[in-house]
Amino acid sequence: MSAISSTPTVRKAAAPPTFETRMWQFMRLSGVLLIPLVWIHVALKDVIVGVHAIDLNYVQKIWAITAWRVYDMALLAFAFGHGMNGLRHVANDYFHSKSAQKIMAWAILIGWIVITAIGGIAIIGGVNMP
Amino acid sequence: MKVHLKIKRFNPEKDSKSWWGEYDVNVDPTDRVLDALHLVKWYQDGTFNVRRSCAHGVCGSDAVRINGQNRLACKVLIQDIVKNDGDTITVEPILGLPVIKDLIVDMEPFFDHYKSVMPYFVNDEALPADGRERLQNIADRERYDQGTKCILCACCTTSCPSFWLNDDYVGPAAVVQAHRFIFDSRDRAAEERLKILNEQMGVWRCRTAFNCTNACPREIPVTQLIGEVKKALATGEIR
Repeated sequence: MSAISSTPTVRKAAAPPTFETRMWQFMRLSGVLLIPLVWIHVALKDVIVGVHAIDLNYVQKIWAITAWRVYDMALLAFAFGHGMNGLRHVANDYFHSKSAQKIMAWAILIGWIVITAIGGIAIIGGVNMP
Repeated sequence: MKVHLKIKRFNPEKDSKSWWGEYDVNVDPTDRVLDALHLVKWYQDGTFNVRRSCAHGVCGSDAVRINGQNRLACKVLIQDIVKNDGDTITVEPILGLPVIKDLIVDMEPFFDHYKSVMPYFVNDEALPADGRERLQNIADRERYDQGTKCILCACCTTSCPSFWLNDDYVGPAAVVQAHRFIFDSRDRAAEERLKILNEQMGVWRCRTAFNCTNACPREIPVTQLIGEVKKALATGEIR
């Protein structure tokens, strides 16, 4: 008899995923990935190598290893994407009209694409020493 | 003992902006903040206004901001917030809702959000064969138990920084009410409610600040319930 069962019923209730659902999932995923990505980056660049020792020679040397390029690409995609989506949410704290929110969202999207593209081109293109 | 009350006052007929009224009252340590507010209204300034009804933590009408935290004035004992004779207690209206007068705010925007999530039972299926109630197992009943404790005092919603900054957000209380029915195994409108909350000004505006959980006078784990609604939306499963 179901009335004395002690496990909660599991039901399906699928609301069609919206842009916001996807962005929340992205924030969760990128948030988890950022923990190793950022800490390894900070440990390497700020502690082990040191910011004053980073020059074109160092960048050329580290990008000679494909895995570091993939790493930097992941850092760019997840850290910057995470930050820009966060910025979109914060912008909605201050822009309350729908049209202003839309303009801000587009401006942030364009900014995100341009800067990610520049970063991506730099990582793929690598360092051409004079 | 003596306490010094600093109360935020506003009379829309006289004041262009709010001001602090200061009053000294003699209370017992086991008195409540509401008792101290009554002493001000009854014996010092009859023009001062605070809303209260049951005065015993059930109706939720005397939600105010006491020493910077949302509380029910009828549930906070003086001895729990002051240490020494003459200490100051600040009392303000809850934030994010329009102030009508003194500590009384307009609750309509709050109730509009509440109504928007269909806070009522929906099931158009035929009644059970015996024509009586729809049975539910113990676990299914427990699943939404926390949400049933809500008294709609607005302590959670008006402690939420996301709500302060944009009152289009439905707010924690509305999500708790939606949770109460979404997770009720007898209800049949979960998808509709999830659809309503699946917007930026729905459940996704919650940034897990946990202010709501700290503010709830009924000790509902509000942030956890909001998280469960988010999870249901992300997975398409109510479990």
